[in-house]
Amino acid sequence: MECTTRLENGFTIIALCGEVDLHFSPKAREIILKHLQDKNHVLVDLSAVTYIDSSGVASLVEGFQHARTHDLKFALVGVSKAAMQILQLSRLDKVFPIIANATEAAQL
Amino acid sequence: MPAASNSEYAIEVRNLDAHYGERQILNDINLHVHHGEIMVIMGGSGSGKSTLLRHLLGLNTPTRGSIKLLGQDLAHNSEQAMFELRRKMGVAFQGGALFGSMTVEENVVLPLCEHTELDENTMRIMGRMKLEVVNLAEFGDLMPSELSGGMIKRAALARAIIMDPRLLFFDEPSAGLDPVAAVELDELILRLRQAMNITIVVVTHELESAFKIADRITVLDQGMILMTDSVEAVRNSDNPRIQSLLNRLPRDDAIDADEYMERLTGI
Amino acid sequence: MSNAAQNSGLHPAIRLVENIGRKTVAAIEELGYVASMLAESFYWLIFGRRQQQPVRLRNVIAEAMRIGVHAIPIISIICLAIGVMMAIQGIQTLKTFGAESKVIVGLAIAITREFAPLIVSIMVAGRSGSAITARIGTMLESQEIDALRVIGINPVRYITAPLLLAMMISIPALTILGDFMGLLGGGLYSIIELKITLPIYFERCAAALSWTDISQGLIKSLVFAAIIVLVSVSNGFQVRGGAEGVGRATTRSVVMSLTFIVIADMIFTYFLNFA
Repeated sequence: MECTTRLENGFTIIALCGEVDLHFSPKAREIILKHLQDKNHVLVDLSAVTYIDSSGVASLVEGFQHARTHDLKFALVGVSKAAMQILQLSRLDKVFPIIANATEAAQL
Repeated sequence: MPAASNSEYAIEVRNLDAHYGERQILNDINLHVHHGEIMVIMGGSGSGKSTLLRHLLGLNTPTRGSIKLLGQDLAHNSEQAMFELRRKMGVAFQGGALFGSMTVEENVVLPLCEHTELDENTMRIMGRMKLEVVNLAEFGDLMPSELSGGMIKRAALARAIIMDPRLLFFDEPSAGLDPVAAVELDELILRLRQAMNITIVVVTHELESAFKIADRITVLDQGMILMTDSVEAVRNSDNPRIQSLLNRLPRDDAIDADEYMERLTGI
Repeated sequence: MSNAAQNSGLHPAIRLVENIGRKTVAAIEELGYVASMLAESFYWLIFGRRQQQPVRLRNVIAEAMRIGVHAIPIISIICLAIGVMMAIQGIQTLKTFGAESKVIVGLAIAITREFAPLIVSIMVAGRSGSAITARIGTMLESQEIDALRVIGINPVRYITAPLLLAMMISIPALTILGDFMGLLGGGLYSIIELKITLPIYFERCAAALSWTDISQGLIKSLVFAAIIVLVSVSNGFQVRGGAEGVGRATTRSVVMSLTFIVIADMIFTYFLNFA
């Protein structure tokens, strides 16, 4: 459950992996909020995430809300089918900007 | 899924007997529920289905037999292991069992407050997400007493799934609801299973709801399992008790004249 | 039912003995239940945090508000009235010996040692004890207790322990208030009859009182607090049979609390004074 971050085209790409559950999501939240507080545009890469629970999704919601109020860009990348179903359950798939890969970020 | 399932079945009940005082309520119950399955336990009133549910939840101790949830034996579990297991199961009670002194939202996030160290803001968002799932988004600030019956059941469901459980128990989801609300709740159960891949046990006496959501149905009658099979098989069963349950016929048991007279006169 | 059937053939005297036996066993069982609940409550209060299942301060404060703070007006009025009554009776009695000025000593000691803790506990038992039983009984009936258990919340930790702590803070605090209001009530009457000022009255009270008088009252009030919580909670958890059952348990709870309080008071008074 390691997070990697890298810079690409003016975006900080935070790649989460493994299981984003009750144990890991506080850390994910902290990382996401830290980068947003540093005034970075953020992409969260979920392609290596095998499982995300609602605490993970809640952390993403917090990040997105922070980005919106501070005029920063925020999007999800590489959302797996399982993760998408969790988002759909609470209709968040219609709320988050979701893109297929990092190159599409330019259009945000 | 987290913590790869280490047992074949999500729920395993073996030779379960239960008594209430002197009276035997459950008689040699054997039941297996697969991971990700929706199992409906069906039976009329007095069939013992509520008692079976209480045993599955670890609220009552059986007189004989064993119950395993997610591979863990309820009878031989330490207090701490039980506490851990409870994090992985959610229960929506028949009457909701929402705490009257708390708002709906506080009710929903209570398990999080007790089991996790999450940030308060995260908990609040999680609570509201679940209220969105059950279509109660605008009602989080109300007290349970201000909700209608259907809303209470949905709020109870939101509380039951707040921890993203692997096992969900639902007692009489459609009892006392108008048909539209009942259908909505059934849809919700199906959606939950699809999105979260939960194992769901529903206890009900409502046939339509049972047929709609079940993968398999267990028919309970007078403390015994009549059959456990697919919806089709239960529907086509030629067991007279099951048929009378399906066709809502009154019981028509053969009467033993001597025994009947003894019951009436006590001699 | 089967017991009744078996009994019906027995001699009435044997049946009586059997009934007494049954009741005794039931009483001992209940005593054991209450004792284990008391131990468990203290366990959660002390070790709960280490087990990551703390007794929530929020719950304790909420209970202390209900039990203590909301009872302040009624306790004040009643203790004031009792102080006045005791002063009237005391002065009338002592007048026959021409010793009415000694009433202050009697008042001060009787109120701090006996009346304030007793009256406060009786009021709280009536006000909060019944409410606690009714609340727990209702929670039991509506499966809220089951819900707590399946969430993994121990009902003793979540309900009993905060109540116990709140009660053991509230009742001694209310007793101190009762001490003051009772003395004030006695004073209001005494200053008229004895033609002294209120400051002088309180000075004489202070001279008549020692710390043991006040601490005796406070120790007793702690015991009463535990009695009220244990009796009302255990009755609440034993509710059977719907709304009617809740009503029965509430009555039983108050009667039992009062009985035990008075008996405990008698025993404690004896030991604190002679042993």
